[in-house]
Amino acid sequence: MSGNELPPPGEMAFGEALKELEGVVAALEGGQLELEESLSRYERGVALLQALQGKLNDAQQKVTSLLGELEPEGDEE
Amino acid sequence: MVEDRALSVTEAMTSAKRALETVSAHVIGEVSEFNDKPGYKAAYFTVADDGAAMPCMMWRDAYVASGVDLRCGALVEMWGAFSAYVPKGRMQFMVKRIALAGEGVLRMQVAQLAKKLEAEGLMRPERKRALPAFPTRIAVITSPRGKAVHDVIRTLRRRFPLAELLVAGVAVEGKNAVVDIVRGLKTAAEASPDVILLVRGGGSYEDLMPFNSEEVARAVVASPVPVVTGIGHEPDTSIADMVSDLRVSTPTAAAEASAPATAELEQRLEKLSRLLGRALQHRLQDASHRVRHLAQRPVFTDSNALVGQAAQAIDMASVALRRAIPERLRRDGERLEYMHKALSTVGPRVLERAEDKLAICAARLGDLSPLAILDRGYAVCYEPDGRTVVRSVEQVRPGDRVRVRVCDGRVESVVESTEKE
Repeated sequence: MSGNELPPPGEMAFGEALKELEGVVAALEGGQLELEESLSRYERGVALLQALQGKLNDAQQKVTSLLGELEPEGDEE
Repeated sequence: MVEDRALSVTEAMTSAKRALETVSAHVIGEVSEFNDKPGYKAAYFTVADDGAAMPCMMWRDAYVASGVDLRCGALVEMWGAFSAYVPKGRMQFMVKRIALAGEGVLRMQVAQLAKKLEAEGLMRPERKRALPAFPTRIAVITSPRGKAVHDVIRTLRRRFPLAELLVAGVAVEGKNAVVDIVRGLKTAAEASPDVILLVRGGGSYEDLMPFNSEEVARAVVASPVPVVTGIGHEPDTSIADMVSDLRVSTPTAAAEASAPATAELEQRLEKLSRLLGRALQHRLQDASHRVRHLAQRPVFTDSNALVGQAAQAIDMASVALRRAIPERLRRDGERLEYMHKALSTVGPRVLERAEDKLAICAARLGDLSPLAILDRGYAVCYEPDGRTVVRSVEQVRPGDRVRVRVCDGRVESVVESTEKE
C-alpha cells in the first residue's frame, strides 16, 4: 500500500519469503499496525503464502552437473 | 643332551627358554588381546591369525617409545625373539620393535593428522556453521556413479524439490580422488550454493583414505559455505567428517540434513495461513469495536452535545445584554429621582432643625447669661467706665461714681463709703 519496493513474492527465495510471511503474521498479531497497514500486510501475507504454496507444489528438482557425467542409477561404485 | 639325567622343572624350562631365545622373528599379525594396566612393567598382548595365536610382551619403555597405540584388531608388525616365562612355563614373544602394519599404519597416520588439525582448532564446535534452513542451491560432491549420488537426488527430490541441485562428480577413491575432491569442492563453491554435501557410500578403510587426507580436510575448512559430510563408513570417522560443519553417517542422511521436508513446510504454511487470517480478523474486530465504542460517545449521539454549552452561554449573554442597557438607564433615573426627592425633603427639614436647634441654643444661652441672674434680684456693679465689674471694695473709693445694673435698667450711684469684710 505504501508503495515501498517489496519484491514480488514469486521472485523471492523460499526462505526469504517464508521469513517475511512469518514477520507479517507476527506484525498482525502484535496489533500495533494502522488498519490500512494491517490490510496491506494481510494482502502481502496472502500473496506470500500463495507463492510459497505454489512453489512447493510445482517444484521440480533441477539437477545440474558441474563436473563429471551422472550415470543412470544402478551400478555400484 | 649327552647325559640322560632327570632335570628339575626349573632346569627344563630354563633350557627351553634359552633355546627359544635363539629364535628371532619378524612377525605380522592382528592384535587379538591387549592388556596394558598402568603399573605393569610391560605391555602384554596376543597376536593372532586364523591358524595360531602368539602371546607377546614388550617392555613398557620400548612400547611407549614406539608411539604405537595398540588396540584389538590392529595389524602390527613386530621384530623380536621368543622367550619363556619360567615361573609359569609360558612361552612368549619378546617384542623389541613394533609398528602398525597396513591399515594400522594408515590409521596411525590419520590419527596423527587428526591430532594436528585439532591442535590448529579446525575441529572446534564454534567453527561449525549452521546450515541454511531453506537452501535454494545444494551442491553434491561425490562419485557420479553409484548409489550415493542417486540417494541424494532421490531424497532431495522427495524432500525439497525447490532447491536446485548441483552435482560435482568426482573420483572418491583411487589415486586421483584427493585432487578430484579438492577440485570438486572448489568448483562447487564457485557456483555459490547454500550448502555443500560431500558424500560417498561405504567402503573399506583404505577406500576411505582420500577423506582422511590433509588436502581434502583443508579444502573442507576453506569452503565458503557449510559442508555436510555423509561418508558411509560407520563407525569410522574420517578427517573430513571431523572438520566439516555437520557430519552424518550416510549420503541420504546428508541430503535430509541439508533441506527441510516439504511435508513439514506445508504444515508450517498451513499454520501460518491460519494465523494470518486470525491476526487480521482480530485486528479488524478490534478496529470495529473501537469505532463502535467511539460512535456511542455523546459527541456523536447528541447533536447538541458538542455546541450545546457554548450555545447556551451565548443565549444567556444576549439576554443579559438585551436587559442590561435599558434596565440600567431606568435604574439610574429612579435613583436620580429618589435623590432629588430626598434632597427636596431633607432641605427644609435641615433648616427647620437648624432653627429649632438655634432656639434651643438661644434659650440655653439665655439661661447661661450672667444677666439672667438679675431677674432673681441680683445686681452687678460696674466701675464708671461701665465695663469693669466691681468685685472688691478696694476698686472704689467714697465719692466714686458707679453704675449698678439691675434687671430692667441702670442705677447711676455714688459710693458713700467702703467697708471691707
